[in-house]
Amino acid sequence: MDTLLSLSTDLAGAVERASRAVVAVHARPRLASTGVVWQPGVIVTADHTVRAEEDLRVTLPDGTVGAATLAGRDPATDLAVLRVADAGGVLAERGDAADLRVGHVVLAVGHGPRASWGVVSALGEGWRTGRGGEIDRFVRLDLTLYPGFSGGPLVDARGRTVGIVTSGFAGGLELAVPLSTVERVVGALVTSGHVARGYLGVGLQPVELPDALRRATPAAGAQGLLVVSVQPDGPAGTAGVLIGDVLVALDGGTVGDTDAVQRLVASRPIGSTVSAALIRGGAPITVGIAVGPRPRRSR
Amino acid sequence: MGASTAAAERPPASRPASSLGAGPVRLVTSVALDLEALAARLRRVTVVIADGRRGAGAGVVWRPDGLVITNAHVASGPVSVTLADGHRVGAALLARDERRDLAAIRVPRQGLEAAEPGPVATLRVGQLVLAVGHPLGLAGALSVGIVHAPPPAPADDRGAWLVADLRLRPGNSGGPLADDRGRVVGINAMVHGGLALAVPSAAVARFLDEAGLGGA
Repeated sequence: MDTLLSLSTDLAGAVERASRAVVAVHARPRLASTGVVWQPGVIVTADHTVRAEEDLRVTLPDGTVGAATLAGRDPATDLAVLRVADAGGVLAERGDAADLRVGHVVLAVGHGPRASWGVVSALGEGWRTGRGGEIDRFVRLDLTLYPGFSGGPLVDARGRTVGIVTSGFAGGLELAVPLSTVERVVGALVTSGHVARGYLGVGLQPVELPDALRRATPAAGAQGLLVVSVQPDGPAGTAGVLIGDVLVALDGGTVGDTDAVQRLVASRPIGSTVSAALIRGGAPITVGIAVGPRPRRSR
Repeated sequence: MGASTAAAERPPASRPASSLGAGPVRLVTSVALDLEALAARLRRVTVVIADGRRGAGAGVVWRPDGLVITNAHVASGPVSVTLADGHRVGAALLARDERRDLAAIRVPRQGLEAAEPGPVATLRVGQLVLAVGHPLGLAGALSVGIVHAPPPAPADDRGAWLVADLRLRPGNSGGPLADDRGRVVGINAMVHGGLALAVPSAAVARFLDEAGLGGA
């Protein structure tokens, strides 16, 4: 029974190690969710479990209950950050989400501690959530996220945190937001309270480019993006982009669909300049656009 | 995979004590062999119980003298019991506690192989647990999961369950939940929100004492 016992002991040890950084988050009626002590005094949880913005409380691993304040939230990646005055608790021990492979045994740890086990069922490239959040890697889990588990750590067999679990994305799938995304979003939330996403302020519509135009415009591919609306004081409007222009490339890279534009722009620092290759009145022109922050959705 | 093939692939005894990630195929095979051995042991102490009214449940041979433990909702009167050796016998109901969902029955046999009760209070969240039962009529089926929540305190007799992240089905009721050494730590009783709920083995001992059935 050596191997089974060894696996069993490893799993129990993994839960024990991970649970030292796991807290209960009381931010909605009745059902507490789970959070992870990420930095001293900083707790990460799943945004969709934070219904209240005031009178928040957390229960630390030692059972003490403390007041928490909402430092910031990013519904697009389903992450929220709370601050607690009591910096007690051990910080989550990070693993490397890049090491994850389909079939790896993993655990989801909820406050209590409670645990659920399963395997990584699918991995994929980075993806964009329905609300525009960039997730560095698609991580789908074959395990049960019991009520209150969202916001807790995804733990590898060594007890290291490799992501934050959530069933809060469309469809309620059991997914994990990988470590690198959590680090990036938490950094932004701690610093500024929100995640600024690059934004041009234009509405675009894909159009086929006639051969004559393509020959005249070396940067262009088979498709361009017709500018159908321009936000007057937005980044593109300020740079002089007009309705009727056709966007064919950004920073030298051909853009044939709106997803490609959103991906590129969202990843650019606010204030940086992208070079937009446009066709205006049949002639190629280039315009520098200073990337602005996407206006925050009012709640 | 046949047993002989599997045995040939058993890793050497000198492998590291904890070696997840090393020699994946051998390890997985080795885990499977361990599970197979524990399941075989649990099957020898698990019986099928039919009371003629609904689908069959399970029971655990608790003592060699024929004392079998099951759920109160599985045995409400005299029942028909199929032992691990395939023999079918009638059993008398000795005691029943609906609140705790436990029942004790006696089969007319001596010298049965009995379950080894295991400690509940020392179970750790994440530790592997095994269930054997007859889910949807499939006799002797194995389910594997982990301890989901800290075990109930020893003194907590009233309604405290042992909770496992493990898939149970009708027909698992009354069967054993065992720890990673094959010791019976609970009697599977119900499914709640996808979780397996078992009556801790300590509660079984108390139940037997209260019913005057304590001791061998």
